[in-house]
Amino acid sequence: MRIENHPILEFKRGNEIKFYFDGEEIIGYEGDTVASALHAAGVRVLGESVFKHRPRGFYCAIGNCSSCLMTVNGESNVRTCITPLKEKMTVEIQKGKGEIL
Amino acid sequence: MINKANVVIVGGGISGVSIAYNLAKKGMKDIVVIEKKYLASGATGRCGAGVRAQWGTEMNCRIAHESIKFYEKANENLNYERDIDFKQGGYLILATTKKEKEQFEKNLKLQNRLGIPSKMISSEEAKKIVPYLNTEDVVVATYCPIDGHINPFKATDAYALAAEKLGVKIYKYTEVLDIVIEDGEIKKVVTDKGDIETDIIVNAAGGYAKQIAEMVGVDLPVFSERHQILVTEPVEEMLGPMVMSFSKNLYCQQTPEGSFIMGRSGENEPTDMRITSSWDFLDKMAKTITHTLPPISELTVIRQWAGLYNITPDRQPIYGETKDVKGFFLAVGFSGRGFMVAPMTGLLIAEQIMGEENSIDISSLSLERFEKGELVFEPSVV
Repeated sequence: MRIENHPILEFKRGNEIKFYFDGEEIIGYEGDTVASALHAAGVRVLGESVFKHRPRGFYCAIGNCSSCLMTVNGESNVRTCITPLKEKMTVEIQKGKGEIL
Repeated sequence: MINKANVVIVGGGISGVSIAYNLAKKGMKDIVVIEKKYLASGATGRCGAGVRAQWGTEMNCRIAHESIKFYEKANENLNYERDIDFKQGGYLILATTKKEKEQFEKNLKLQNRLGIPSKMISSEEAKKIVPYLNTEDVVVATYCPIDGHINPFKATDAYALAAEKLGVKIYKYTEVLDIVIEDGEIKKVVTDKGDIETDIIVNAAGGYAKQIAEMVGVDLPVFSERHQILVTEPVEEMLGPMVMSFSKNLYCQQTPEGSFIMGRSGENEPTDMRITSSWDFLDKMAKTITHTLPPISELTVIRQWAGLYNITPDRQPIYGETKDVKGFFLAVGFSGRGFMVAPMTGLLIAEQIMGEENSIDISSLSLERFEKGELVFEPSVV
């Protein structure tokens, strides 16, 4: 879902950016964050809670709450709500707490 | 609030609740613990919560070793339904100088004689325990598998609940305002919630020990110094032991929940009871840890905080009844290790209050040692 017509604001959409979410090709736009592109594509579950494995989604949108942590280009615990979308990024749902080794 | 007690313990940190529990277990009735804020709100809940048996004097080795033995079984000993989270992954202590290595050799001889299973290992062997350890400046390391770290809040909770089951009354958010003495004997404790008549007071006030002692006219040769610490985001298990080095000025552990907790001593830390955080610490800590454990540089810092080390001239605790004020017992001046010795602090102070012989001779840790100039030398202080 994206706002096409807004009574006051004007959205100038940038170029298309192709990226991969759990292997599936998705199109976002320049200016998107990873999470905003996923949200626009209808992806609501971005991860799961560590202990009870409950779904976690887009929440604070300012990089504070850890709800949108995902694995991006192989790197764990990326705050996707503040990470600019780039061409050919691989974005994956992270299981567990993530690893840095 | 009750208005009469046999023993009033000032301070609801791990030492205070351990003393209360041990006293109650020995049959003492009407014990009160007074805590200005919430339990473990002072140094206990702010500390790195490491426990190690690797010390340099027989007395300290025995106190720490016995404390570890208690912590190993603390959940059962205290009938704790939760878990104090004792991660017994050892302490890996890094030596970076020849002098340090020589000191460690002496320490190990002593530790092994006392049954502590510590050993010297090469930097290659250290890498087997922590594969990503940067050993370029490591001469040698010591490792003791029974060392580790604990959740200090839960350990305090465990003691407090066990003490309360035995009848101890714990008054939180209650501040000691004054202590009334007559003819050198304690009469009562004045708090902001009322007065409690008592003959015996235990000063277990941690960073505030000096201020409590001043209320009875005892001048403690202690000061409280800020020490800082930080915690990172959690990741999957990747560090077993507490990694520590005196010469590199660092300690670092990974909690069972996955966060890294690390600290170091600052060069010019304030001694005015401040527990604010500094940018300087964050900067130096990050540099220290990045050098020693490089992958940790990838982790995001969640927050930093500080607590008070209550420091004595010889960096050894002060235990026992004061000569000048009868019934005023001290369990203060832990100089940064009150948490790891708390099980024995509780037992030893309880033994003294009950008039029993101490199970470890701690007579050398009395307040009078400073007057006599008989300071205790311990080489393994951070």
